[in-house]
Amino acid sequence: MKKLFALSMAVLLLSGCASEDGDGSSDGSADSIEFQVSGDPEEIVVYRSLVGDFEKSHEDIDVKLIDVADKDDHLAKLSTAFTGGNPPDVFLVNFREYSQFVVRDALEPVEPHLESMNIDTADYYEPPLEAFTFAGELQCMPQNISSLVVYYNKSLFKKAGVAAPPDEWSWEDFRSTAVELTSGDVRGVGIEPSIIRLAPFVWTNGGEIVDDPDAPTRFTFDDPAAREALEFIVGLVRDDQAVPTEQEVTAAEDLETMFATGNLGMLLSSRRDTPEFREITSLKWDVAPLPQESVPAGILHSDAYCVAAGSDNQEAALEFISYATGEKGQTITALGGRTVPSRMSVAQSGAFLNPAESPSRSQVFLDAIPNIRRTPVIPTWPEIEDVAEEILTRAFYEDGYTIDDAINDLEEQTSSLFEEGSSAAE
Amino acid sequence: MTRKRVVRTAGIVAVFLLFVLPAALMILGSLRDPTLIPERGMDLVPEYLTFDNYRNLSAFVPIWTFMRNSLVVVALAVPVTVLVASWAGFAIARATPRVRRALIGVSLAALMVPIMLVWVPRFVLFKWLGLLDSPWPLIAPALMATSPFYVLLFALVYSRIPRSLYEAAEIDGMSPLTIWRKVAFPLARPAAFAVAVLAFVWHWSNFFDPLIYLSTTERFTLPLGLKGLSTLEPRLYPLLLAGAVVATAPALLAFLVSQRAFFRRTLEV
Repeated sequence: MKKLFALSMAVLLLSGCASEDGDGSSDGSADSIEFQVSGDPEEIVVYRSLVGDFEKSHEDIDVKLIDVADKDDHLAKLSTAFTGGNPPDVFLVNFREYSQFVVRDALEPVEPHLESMNIDTADYYEPPLEAFTFAGELQCMPQNISSLVVYYNKSLFKKAGVAAPPDEWSWEDFRSTAVELTSGDVRGVGIEPSIIRLAPFVWTNGGEIVDDPDAPTRFTFDDPAAREALEFIVGLVRDDQAVPTEQEVTAAEDLETMFATGNLGMLLSSRRDTPEFREITSLKWDVAPLPQESVPAGILHSDAYCVAAGSDNQEAALEFISYATGEKGQTITALGGRTVPSRMSVAQSGAFLNPAESPSRSQVFLDAIPNIRRTPVIPTWPEIEDVAEEILTRAFYEDGYTIDDAINDLEEQTSSLFEEGSSAAE
Repeated sequence: MTRKRVVRTAGIVAVFLLFVLPAALMILGSLRDPTLIPERGMDLVPEYLTFDNYRNLSAFVPIWTFMRNSLVVVALAVPVTVLVASWAGFAIARATPRVRRALIGVSLAALMVPIMLVWVPRFVLFKWLGLLDSPWPLIAPALMATSPFYVLLFALVYSRIPRSLYEAAEIDGMSPLTIWRKVAFPLARPAAFAVAVLAFVWHWSNFFDPLIYLSTTERFTLPLGLKGLSTLEPRLYPLLLAGAVVATAPALLAFLVSQRAFFRRTLEV
């Protein structure tokens, strides 16, 4: 026992010196801010260089990067820190998740500070600004505007003798391409059974996913246009068998891996997969726009920098956000490959559109912006998405589970969440 | 006789394989070259073995720093847990029947409190004490024996020691602390070993506490590092498995070393 204690004291002393040093830098100066972000280790590297570059030009401000591995942990840590009264000064969050913080009065809106931050919103694309506007005020400053595109494997297209997806194509073109690509181990297209994949198909068909996008009270998949979109997607899975089965997806870990290993001709995804596919030199790929029907439509994916209400270093926090969403900051994140810059000048620059790097058709992301739409912003939306994903998974794969079952379940199982969400937003 | 022996050996081998197989897969997987396109389906023995993953690990997460932080936590938390659980268990075992029942009731009640309920109060407490973003919130549960279960385990073991032994020690004029040190604890060595192993595993694999209390990457513990590696794309899983091997090795080593010492001293084999 005595020996064990001696040993433990020795270990503590050895490591003690190192951690003591760390304390001084983060607590000492008045202008020290914490910035919490979630992402895999490669993504964190991009934010680390962003922070490093900021500190170089702002010697009086010390930014501590808090990196959390995945999004759920990120939100759990944020919730605990907010409840416990010690939130990070700045954090990055998706527009589908930020409203739960607004309704708890946890955010300092950025709108009143735009002038002092030297930000002119006219320099930024409109959809993310609109998405992060809640209760009449811009709450957080968007860093990116990604949208859903069709990633495609050029080698598989060549092998199947199918022409590359054009800049405009219909559902029928999309479907026949997916069917032609499907043979042997290769499936035509990977689609996740989720609302954010399904929604743009509903919109382009002239339908709506909810009754009122600003104050939704229920899903509206019983509406003929929405139903047709659901039938089209489920038809690709069940009738054409052009979408990987549940077993195939599980065996490959995920759709991205199936695409990366050349078992998937096309994949519906946002910009986030680009860095992963770039790393695989043997993979020849590009992106194409979503197929469109009567109304051109895309779906917004966007994250923004938010300031915690009651931050001790609000000024420094705003300064950091101003830099991160500015010309230089967005250039750094754009070079990381994962983001479509929300600042127009950076989005149209070589940092994003570099033709030497895949995808050579990056312009597709920008062309989608005028028609981009978004899912409703209500505090319970993340839970609604979870429930919908279970139902859509059954609609994709479960024998005997019909479109009618899915439409009924979508409405029934989410109605209380819609109610809870709209009453919290008031 | 020999037939019985064969069956016994076969049984041991079967159980051994059952437990060793996942570990073997983990080690083999950690030696796969992540730049090669993975095979479809199961490919147990990779064609090319490489130790590069272990070398490259620290480029993704500072795994050795995390290892040191985890070691600090267990080096303090495990002995303190054993000591506190053993004292508390001793107090319960030696209390009057009425007090003992009450204490056992309190321990059981504490055991049933869902862990989520204490996260925020603890967060507030540690913030007030100025201990956020330090290893202390991770070690602090040891001051409460980490889990009431360990206290109850000791209480059970101590109450099975013949009463006459305690009475003889009292007649000798020993203080309760001396009785614990000279009589009770030496007889409870197997329980102490069990609690030490359980507490080690608990602290070593603790994920949520470091997630919410720590914010400086240099102070993170191994489970946070593994979670980080697990978010890499599946193609890079060999790196995650290399991380898993690195995280498992000290636990395994500590167990093997202490197990030998334990068996030699207590069972004299």
